[in-house]
Amino acid sequence: MIEKIIEDALFAAIAAVGFASISKPPKRAYIYCAAIAAAGHSLRYILINYFSVGIVISSLIASFTIGLLAVFMSPRAKMPAETCLFPSLLPMIPGIYAYKAFAGLAMCMIRHDKAAFDTYFYLFAENAIITTSVILMLVIGATIPIFAFNKISFRATR
Amino acid sequence: MTTMKTDPDERSLYRFLSEYGAELLGSGASCIRLEKNISRIARHYGRDTEIVIMPRHIHITVWSPGHDDAFTAISSISRKGISFNINTLLSRLSWHIADNKIDFEQSVKCFKRIISDRHQNPWAVLLAVSAANASFCRLFGGDISAMLIVAFATAVGYYIKQFTLRHKVDLRVVFLICSFVSAVLGSTGILFDIGSTPRIALATSILYLVPGIPFINSFSDMLYKYYICALGRLADALVLTACLSAGLCAAMLLMNISMF
Repeated sequence: MIEKIIEDALFAAIAAVGFASISKPPKRAYIYCAAIAAAGHSLRYILINYFSVGIVISSLIASFTIGLLAVFMSPRAKMPAETCLFPSLLPMIPGIYAYKAFAGLAMCMIRHDKAAFDTYFYLFAENAIITTSVILMLVIGATIPIFAFNKISFRATR
Repeated sequence: MTTMKTDPDERSLYRFLSEYGAELLGSGASCIRLEKNISRIARHYGRDTEIVIMPRHIHITVWSPGHDDAFTAISSISRKGISFNINTLLSRLSWHIADNKIDFEQSVKCFKRIISDRHQNPWAVLLAVSAANASFCRLFGGDISAMLIVAFATAVGYYIKQFTLRHKVDLRVVFLICSFVSAVLGSTGILFDIGSTPRIALATSILYLVPGIPFINSFSDMLYKYYICALGRLADALVLTACLSAGLCAAMLLMNISMF
């Protein structure tokens, strides 16, 4: 169990650093992104696999933790909270659900017989709803700490 | 270092605020940060501001100190791409101005220097993105051969992305081409029966293209009630996701693989 969690944290950290590099963060942000993403993603892994919590609620809890860590680390790093926060959320963005939703929609346009249309419309709706709700929960969870500790979050670069 | 507060001439101040806003928003800052930074700078010079943020433009109205006159500056949001480094440095600049650490002329020079420095080693990013996507494949349960396939598919796709963007190809076309190429390469595991998780390799091979930051920014703006900008950013992210899905579907059609 412990090895699985450590493995999840490690690969989430590499994923966060790599995906963060696309959005050009300051160099010293990488270490914070890696640490925060590892903590958040492994927490979600534990919730989903060991406590049978659904992906939506576990994303909310994980992103709230990520938000708290980012808000309290950002003044130390002298960076806006988003610089640590947003790249750390990237490994949890439900990319596969997102493109499956579009693929389902595309199939609905092609196939018009009722049985096939029903199946593909269901796949489109299911994937679209999961994508939207997971991203929404990620952002709500991460934004609550920014709201709650407004003074810290917006004065980090002072 | 503390300097004397010198009042800039009106037009230079409006131009500076307007350009600052356009660059900050273009670098991927959220609307709430933009509003806070702009009003922080304006307050230092004794002005109040009102800001309207549209999907492609920002209108900044600056009131004169006695509130008897107002000027509006409109500028196009920078389209040079997301850069959290610029976002961080511009936020710091706003505090330097507010804390009276630099005068107006120095601020303008500092601003120009910040926005012109976008250098990043493209090979380092290519390597980091490939490693990241291979790690992502592992997180979804892919084995070592699936990870290697994803790393290769990502490296080729991302190289094409860098190359085409340098040649100013439309971003949507870039996403279409890159996802197609990465998905074709990602499907080699299924074609040649490599490893035990070839489908995971294909499913994750294009995930480096998912516009995560625009999605997050859009929902973040929505929570702070900047609905128009949020919808603009959401539309951008959805169009790019549609393009990458289309590229993936085309590749699967070519390789005769079904998605569901």
